[in-house]
Amino acid sequence: MKTDTLSRRTILKGMGVALSLPWLEAMGLQTSWAAGNTPVKQAAPNRMAFLYVPNGVNMDGWRGGINLKADAPLPSKLPPILQPLNNVRASISLLTGLAADKARSHGDGGGDHARAMSAFLTGAQPRKTDGANIRSGVSADQIAAARLGDRTRLASLEVGTEASKLAGGCDSGYSCIYQSNMSWRSATQPMPKEVNPKMIFERLFGSGTDLERVRRDAQRKSVLDAVRDDFRELNVRLGADDQRKLDEYFTAVRELELRIQKTATGNQPKLPANILAPKGIPESYAEHLRQLADLVVLAFQTDTTRVSTFVMANEGSNRAYPFINVREGHHNLSHHGNDTQKLAKIQDINLFHTAQLAYFLEKLQSVKEGDGTLLDHSMIVYGSGNGDGNRHNHDDLPILLAGRGCGTIRPGRHIAYEQQTPLNNLWVSLLNRMDIRDVQFGDSTGELKKLA
Amino acid sequence: MQRMPPHGAGVRFWLVRIVPVLACLCGIVAWAQDYQKDVAPFLQKYCTECHDQESAKGHLDLDSIKDDTRMFKDQRMWRDVLNQVVAGEMPPAKKKVRPSQGEIEQLQANIRRLLGRAIAGAKVDPGSVTIRRLNRVEYNNTIRDLCYLEGNFAADFPADDTGYGFDNIGDVLSFSPIHLERFIAVGEQVAAKAMPSQPPELDGTGLAMIEMLPRGRREEQQRYFDPTPSLTGSMEAPRDGEYIVSVSLRSTGTTGDPLAQVAVVVDGVEAGKYVFKSIRKSEVVEVKVPLKQGRHEFTLKWLNPPANITGNKRSLSGLRLRLLGPTDTRTEMQRRLAVLVGDKKGELRARLIANWFVSRAFRRPATPAELQRYVKAFTAAEQAAGSWEAGAQAMIRLVLSSPKFIFRAEQDEKPTATEPHPISEFALASRLSYFLWGSMPDEELFNLAYAGKLSTNLAAQARRMLQDARSQFLVQGFALQWLQLRQLSIVSPDPKMYESFNETLRTAMSKETEFFLAEIVREDRSVLEIIDANFTYVNRPLAEFYGLNYPAQDAARRREEGGFRRVTLPPGERGGVLTQASILTATSNPDRTSPVKRGKWILEQILGTPPPPAPAEVPSLEGQHALHGTLRERMEQHRKDPACASCHTRMDAIGFALERFDGIGRARTMDEGKPIDTSGKLPDGRKFAGAAELKQILKADKERFVANLTAKLLTYGLGRGVEYYDGPAIDRITAEALKGEPRFSTLVLGVVLSDPFRLRRGTSQVESVSEMPKKK
Repeated sequence: MKTDTLSRRTILKGMGVALSLPWLEAMGLQTSWAAGNTPVKQAAPNRMAFLYVPNGVNMDGWRGGINLKADAPLPSKLPPILQPLNNVRASISLLTGLAADKARSHGDGGGDHARAMSAFLTGAQPRKTDGANIRSGVSADQIAAARLGDRTRLASLEVGTEASKLAGGCDSGYSCIYQSNMSWRSATQPMPKEVNPKMIFERLFGSGTDLERVRRDAQRKSVLDAVRDDFRELNVRLGADDQRKLDEYFTAVRELELRIQKTATGNQPKLPANILAPKGIPESYAEHLRQLADLVVLAFQTDTTRVSTFVMANEGSNRAYPFINVREGHHNLSHHGNDTQKLAKIQDINLFHTAQLAYFLEKLQSVKEGDGTLLDHSMIVYGSGNGDGNRHNHDDLPILLAGRGCGTIRPGRHIAYEQQTPLNNLWVSLLNRMDIRDVQFGDSTGELKKLA
Repeated sequence: MQRMPPHGAGVRFWLVRIVPVLACLCGIVAWAQDYQKDVAPFLQKYCTECHDQESAKGHLDLDSIKDDTRMFKDQRMWRDVLNQVVAGEMPPAKKKVRPSQGEIEQLQANIRRLLGRAIAGAKVDPGSVTIRRLNRVEYNNTIRDLCYLEGNFAADFPADDTGYGFDNIGDVLSFSPIHLERFIAVGEQVAAKAMPSQPPELDGTGLAMIEMLPRGRREEQQRYFDPTPSLTGSMEAPRDGEYIVSVSLRSTGTTGDPLAQVAVVVDGVEAGKYVFKSIRKSEVVEVKVPLKQGRHEFTLKWLNPPANITGNKRSLSGLRLRLLGPTDTRTEMQRRLAVLVGDKKGELRARLIANWFVSRAFRRPATPAELQRYVKAFTAAEQAAGSWEAGAQAMIRLVLSSPKFIFRAEQDEKPTATEPHPISEFALASRLSYFLWGSMPDEELFNLAYAGKLSTNLAAQARRMLQDARSQFLVQGFALQWLQLRQLSIVSPDPKMYESFNETLRTAMSKETEFFLAEIVREDRSVLEIIDANFTYVNRPLAEFYGLNYPAQDAARRREEGGFRRVTLPPGERGGVLTQASILTATSNPDRTSPVKRGKWILEQILGTPPPPAPAEVPSLEGQHALHGTLRERMEQHRKDPACASCHTRMDAIGFALERFDGIGRARTMDEGKPIDTSGKLPDGRKFAGAAELKQILKADKERFVANLTAKLLTYGLGRGVEYYDGPAIDRITAEALKGEPRFSTLVLGVVLSDPFRLRRGTSQVESVSEMPKKK
């Protein structure tokens, strides 16, 4: 460790008076991979993050001016909605023609929002149920988490701005679980997202001093040891559905044990200096998004995890955006009926979201790592499981891929895929780039070509 | 629609056992004949043109049904069919060939008869309830009753997902690593708070002596006893107990002066005296005094001042009078343990405490194996820390992280029984307490369960529990979710259009509905008053918002909370939840009302007849065409689309009846500069002129309303969705309630005494996925 690095304790001591994130340049410009922490010089690892926006986008604004027939470098003037990304244009590609077929009804009737979210990363048709026998599929991020999770302290990080929907009925006979959850550990178990930056920070880096943490971990270890007997006794006499629920409990126990073990053996994140811990959920939506982006960057930078999902708003969200003068609910607006005023407002919302994406990508780019930047060693996907909100189509989706995936991706282009190419093929290709080979899941039919 | 009944084997088995074989066979033949004779002709004549195997509009194929063997499983479908025919929605308006009123009534009678027969012949199937994780509110409530601590401990748990409109559905309450982390972390906090190993510091409040009476004293050098040697002020005792009145005073004087003497007088009675030990020194005056909760008057008297106080070298000065306490800083848990343990020591003490706590936390008697483990953990921690409190704390920490606490598991006492049988007494106690209180069973329930007498005293217990203050949780836990009122917390009315809307009003709106519903529960009123009532509750801002007089005092002279007072409403459209600002706001768009959302809300939440979802890939209501005119005109144009008409005709008509209330529920007569038309007609021909008449129509539909409310209560009470096999229970409860005024308690009791609530499946009833026909 470099001598000028502040110790954890000093950092945390300062937290009482800390402002909220962002920590700006103070957060140090190098990742733990470049800071000489690793005994043997290793290449930086590849990371993946998936950012989701609801209700589709204004497709003309998303790719206006792009020749959809041909692969080509991005034009000098980006489409309107992508313009906030101009500073990172060399690191992004626009992918067209991809489809989430399993978000379509296939005889299940309405519910495009529920399906759009739950099929996005899983490529699996969610079972239409309001509660009994929830079933989706395992999601791309969780495939990565399961295979790579043992290399980092957290297998994956799930964040979002909105907790699961609080109110009653959701989309047309689907439980709310489907339109709030993007990440599925198994077909039956969603990974709830954390919305409170303060809690995420503590999850990533703990709270209190080293000594407190050691004592706490020891105490938790003893708790985990103790509950095993109760678990075993309980499990014996329960039915199949009950056992499935209890399995979730047991999996959590094992994961927590592993994490404590990893922390004890010294494999813990080195928090960059002068990090200010967030205090809670910011009132401003923009600030909330930025803090979450900061936390994902920090999690990657410290190699606390390599896999993350980020739900910018739940699918079907009817949030109003009064701070950009959009007072109508997003979902209502998305049924625009080709009304030009409504389309313009949707574009404004889309622009607001890409501006937040730009913040995230620029931040990743600002972190130096080995021969490049953190963005170079990442694969960031931004998109929606709905194309045009008015049509609820699930093909020709708005998908943006950013980062170089440790040199395995050549960005800066528009890549045209044949219509109806499964979105899951993109996930398979990204997983390959995480050294997870021979995966086939959901409705994937193979690798997505032309990324390199 | 036509699928092989997966339970075929089970049903046959049962028929063979209960009914003589011959009669059974004849029965089935006769049933097929009845169906072909009484139902099929109507369907052939009016329905199967569209609803046959080929077109199967609305995914409904009535043509392939040849007898009534699936009538029980398909009962919801049959009820829907009947509802739509009776309501005049089917056959659709464009069809020229229409059934006569007589034909419709005949069909209704026939289907009801066949349904009744199917239900009567069906085997009791109580369904199966998946093990339930405590949700966030249940966790808080349970900690309150288990550890005697109030607080939002679950604030940082991930939000609970909802299913069937409720957040207590076992299948949907998932458990992730984050959950475990939070359960453990919060369990640590709770254990430390309930059973602190160090005595906490005394709570205290203080009073600056400069603020004490009489006024007009010297202030230089804090010589406040000049010129009057007596100071008086008041302080609040937070609860009953022994307190310490404490003040640090400095005495000055010259050698030979008498030692200062001070008395502390509380509420006019001397509580104690203090004589200084030296002439020139600061000393702490402390007097112990028992106090009741509330404000008390404290007087500090200098008993031996010099004759001329002002300017005298002999003086007393000080800054602040403090009230510390209560001096018994034990937590409620510690106090209860003290009684429980008495003078027992060592392992016996650990065993007593573990048995008491584990049995309550797991909501059934602790097993010997559990006791052994938890006593071991207790003793180990006790020995390590040298205090039994530390041992208890460690044990509590473990228990609160155990799956047996976190999940409500109902273990089967007769796992080999083939037939439905009662759930265990303890499982029943938990079902009751979480249904009615959202929390763990209390002592009385536990005692009855121990004695095996709960199931025989079920109705009396349910009545007692409804009288208990904890039953108010039925409002927050059940009613607000049923009415989808949590939506109110996330809607964002356009501040430009609705300047008067603010957070105070948002809270007040929600509170109004809470108080209103609480009265229905507390006073056991007719549930029909939920639709229409002549009273409500308002605080001052809400009264202004509604243009109501804020009464000088609560009409029922109850102890008011948050300034909410009961008011009797003037005759008019307001009254009942439909016209409360909370619902009207929650079912509006940010920038305008949404008659569609309001209509849908009434159909779904009040009548339990949700319109089918909009067909896939057809845009919802607004604007696939350029529409013009008033909102009503625009929607009428929209409805011209036949794909929309069949459902929107009813939904919109109902919604428009509420148009005299704007997007935040304010009364209005104009919209977009034009007068508002709230008249409407339902597909069955019933007309109404506005909200008041609509409510009369809804009340006339009381059978549907009560059946719907029953189904929702059952869903919430069981933590699972209602299935076809719950039909008989719902019918029975509804019929019972409608014998008189349908009181809230009648419905609750009906649920509590029903088969699905009291029983569990036997092994002959194969666990399987939902048998509802696939919703299309």
